[in-house]
Amino acid sequence: MSFNATTEPTWRAKLAIVHREIRSLRAEKTIVLALAIQLVIAGFSGFLVVGLVSLYDPSAVEGGEMAIAVTGEDREAILDIVNQQNTLSAQPYDDPDTAYDAFSERRVAAILEVTRLEDETLRITVTASDEGLGTTLLISELQESLRAVEFEERAANVDRLESQPLPVPETDGANPYVGFTYTILIPLLLFLPVFISGSIAVDSLIEERQRGTLELLRVAPLSFADVIDAKLVATAGLAPLQAVAWLLLLALNGTTIVHPGPLVVLVSVLALCIVAGGLGVALYAPDRRQAQLLYSAGIVGLLVVTTLLPEHPANTIAKFAIGSETTTTWLLLVGYSALGLGSYLLLRVGVSRLKTEGL
Amino acid sequence: MSGVSSEGMNDRGSLGRIWRIARWEVTRSAGTVDRKTIAVVLVLLLAAGFVGYSAVDDGVGLEDGLYTVAVDEESPYYEVATADRTFRTVDPGEPADLIIYANGHVNPAETAKGNAAHAAFSDAVERHNEALMIAESDTAAAFPVSVTLVYEQREPLEAVGDGDLEADDGDDGTEADGDSLATDGSSDDGTGSETADDDASAIATPEFGGGSIDDSSGPQTPGSITPPFPFQSLVLAFLFVVPMNFVIQAYGSTIMDERINRRGELLLVSPASRYEIVAGKTLPYLLGVTGLVCAIALVIDGGWLSVAAVIPIALLFLAATFVGAMFARSFKELTFVTVTISVFLTTYTFVPAIFTDVTPIALISPLTLVVLDLQGESVRAVEYLFSTAPFYLGSAVLFGLGLGSYREEDMFTQKPVPSKVIDSIATHVRGKASVFAMPIVFIPFVFAIQLLTVSLVFALPETLSLPIIFLVAAGVEEVAKSVHVYAGYAHSRFDSSVKTALGIGAISGLGFFVGEKFTHVVQLVGLPDIVEGQAAFGPTLAGDSLLVLAAIALAPLVLHVVTAMIGALGASRGRRSYLVALVLATAVHATYNLGVIVLVL
Repeated sequence: MSFNATTEPTWRAKLAIVHREIRSLRAEKTIVLALAIQLVIAGFSGFLVVGLVSLYDPSAVEGGEMAIAVTGEDREAILDIVNQQNTLSAQPYDDPDTAYDAFSERRVAAILEVTRLEDETLRITVTASDEGLGTTLLISELQESLRAVEFEERAANVDRLESQPLPVPETDGANPYVGFTYTILIPLLLFLPVFISGSIAVDSLIEERQRGTLELLRVAPLSFADVIDAKLVATAGLAPLQAVAWLLLLALNGTTIVHPGPLVVLVSVLALCIVAGGLGVALYAPDRRQAQLLYSAGIVGLLVVTTLLPEHPANTIAKFAIGSETTTTWLLLVGYSALGLGSYLLLRVGVSRLKTEGL
Repeated sequence: MSGVSSEGMNDRGSLGRIWRIARWEVTRSAGTVDRKTIAVVLVLLLAAGFVGYSAVDDGVGLEDGLYTVAVDEESPYYEVATADRTFRTVDPGEPADLIIYANGHVNPAETAKGNAAHAAFSDAVERHNEALMIAESDTAAAFPVSVTLVYEQREPLEAVGDGDLEADDGDDGTEADGDSLATDGSSDDGTGSETADDDASAIATPEFGGGSIDDSSGPQTPGSITPPFPFQSLVLAFLFVVPMNFVIQAYGSTIMDERINRRGELLLVSPASRYEIVAGKTLPYLLGVTGLVCAIALVIDGGWLSVAAVIPIALLFLAATFVGAMFARSFKELTFVTVTISVFLTTYTFVPAIFTDVTPIALISPLTLVVLDLQGESVRAVEYLFSTAPFYLGSAVLFGLGLGSYREEDMFTQKPVPSKVIDSIATHVRGKASVFAMPIVFIPFVFAIQLLTVSLVFALPETLSLPIIFLVAAGVEEVAKSVHVYAGYAHSRFDSSVKTALGIGAISGLGFFVGEKFTHVVQLVGLPDIVEGQAAFGPTLAGDSLLVLAAIALAPLVLHVVTAMIGALGASRGRRSYLVALVLATAVHATYNLGVIVLVL
């Protein structure tokens, strides 16, 4: 009985501290701001990718045929191939000057001057206007055609080549954003809550130290380790909650998440690891500048050094999300769990050896 | 503290006091980071640098093993499938995203993933081919096509026929005027070997390196030409912004420190004014950023223009952080405020710069100037002013706001951020002139928010994005016209009679109208290119009667005055009715905008 009598109030006190921590976050609306920030980051990277993909692959966005003039002695060599591209229509011009007039009068979007050199290579000079987006479109369409020309010309050189280029498989209807969604967006959305939780933990502990409110907590019926525990639970718990929210949002958006369970576990254990690390930093460093410097350097270091692993954590997330996981992926999940638990235990050992009077 | 109190600061001028506070800030900040921390951070960064450097060759591997492929060993694609790390091979017969048969037929699974795998595989084959060809000894046979891109500015249609375009006389190098991608394709009638050499070097450059001046100057292979897109310069320009995010962390901490446990009180009671204190505390960080910017400019070969373009960005970063640190209640809140600042400012400067070569509107971001500078183009003084003036003005306004609450009664109180904002605005609201001037001061922020909204909802479908843009655009303008009025009322600067409220609203609306028109005039004079699209409406307007013209010019004035009156009326009745009035005013404004667009179309 006596055992129960002492533990129960401790639990209640711990819970009270967890509540206090979450209350302060709620009062400051920081969590709202945090979600907004993540949304903006995701939106921004989405914007970048949509922008980039459509710049490089404008056929993904719109159709329409562009006229181009083909001139020069060997124009016949490319005329047919360019005309096969349904976004381009090539018109032969015998006289370069007429072609140039057509270009100036906006009747053609570009001039291709084709000459065969002594070594049998084709030299193509493309004259296009520097009028921005239209030219970007034109050049990437032309690139397709010119690659086809290159392929044909190579085929003619068969006897001079040691190896043969492979025919490129024709594809259609692929969503160009799949790779981005799984390898960048999802890892980003799952990592950000973890890093934010760690940062909150650092700030929360440093602030209590600087304001001297940590002293007040010492009169509570808890050990210092319990106080740290409560902070850990409150901040590390936020990360998987946000992760679940993002995964739900993505699923609603039509992105299939094959293994949501392991992903949430992964975020939880990573949050445990990072938050424990953050609290450790905040216990070591007495000033916020120093603590945040250590924390952010540590995060950057971790992100880079983990490329040495058989799979980068971001790759692990991508594989779980798209459903291409292997034994290594599962083993790494187990490894991260062990790491999370290990860092927690390490923090406990550290805290128990700490002279709390010095804080 | 000893340095501040002992020697007495009275006998020196204002500059002396600022200098002293700056020096004190440096020594004190340096003291917060001990040697052990520096050592740890250095070790961490060195390790990261070392690993990062060695990982650069084979990439981070984010896409490794993303798709599964079941490939027959006889298939011509066997080598591609096994060598490319994006794919993990499974035994034929097992379920896979992509099945490749012995005859070379590629069959994707009937899923989105299967399609994506198919597209990725086709890219892999292209990369494989390219690698095979680079290994060939007979380069002329492997790369039988060389492409030279020449970009030319076409004369406006009316001027065509003069025949004085420089590119016509192609004997001494085709010089496209005023363009980054001008090439000298026609000058070398290259012998075979020379062209081949150029080919090889063109292939060796990474694909994303294209589009900038340095690697498009020779003939390229079809695979290596890139659409005009200043990606490389853009990434380099981005380098300038990265260190700012670290500097503002430290800067925010030091400002916040003053507010914890009333530490700042000691400086406040010193002879130094609050302006001197803030200037002194900011100076080391501003100098630090300037130093960093100069160093980066040296490394990436940026000129003075780059530095001059980046400094206002740094100023705005610092100003926004200063305000954030003045308003935040705790370090946690400060962290979020600084991250928000980082994200928004980075987005705001980065997104327009993407379109450097596409539209002159890109000039609203100073990073565009950096991109232009890195591409070796010249920038006119007007353009510099156009793109940096909002940043200078914005930082001045933000520092002004923060300074408004840099005093004892505001600094050490714990209030929610919004009411701190209201307080600091209220300190600047005195009399009718300020009611008129404040909306003008807010205009750069209004533009910034409207632009950000457009770029962020860009990816959404139009049915969703257009209403969002309409509402945000109207709402932001309404807030800019009424928030200072509300702040004035909250601090009882005006009497709450209906007549006064309407009068103040009218003044505020007029102020915003004048500010808006003024920016239009500035744009017209400074950058006529930008209003090219708007000018298209010019001729049709000119034919109409003077009355119609006056109506068109004055309609926005009426709108701004009316909606500002609604807002002011609400503001005079307290917080809740202010919010209601704001919604109402936004609705009126958005309806008006919609009406104008329908009329024009």
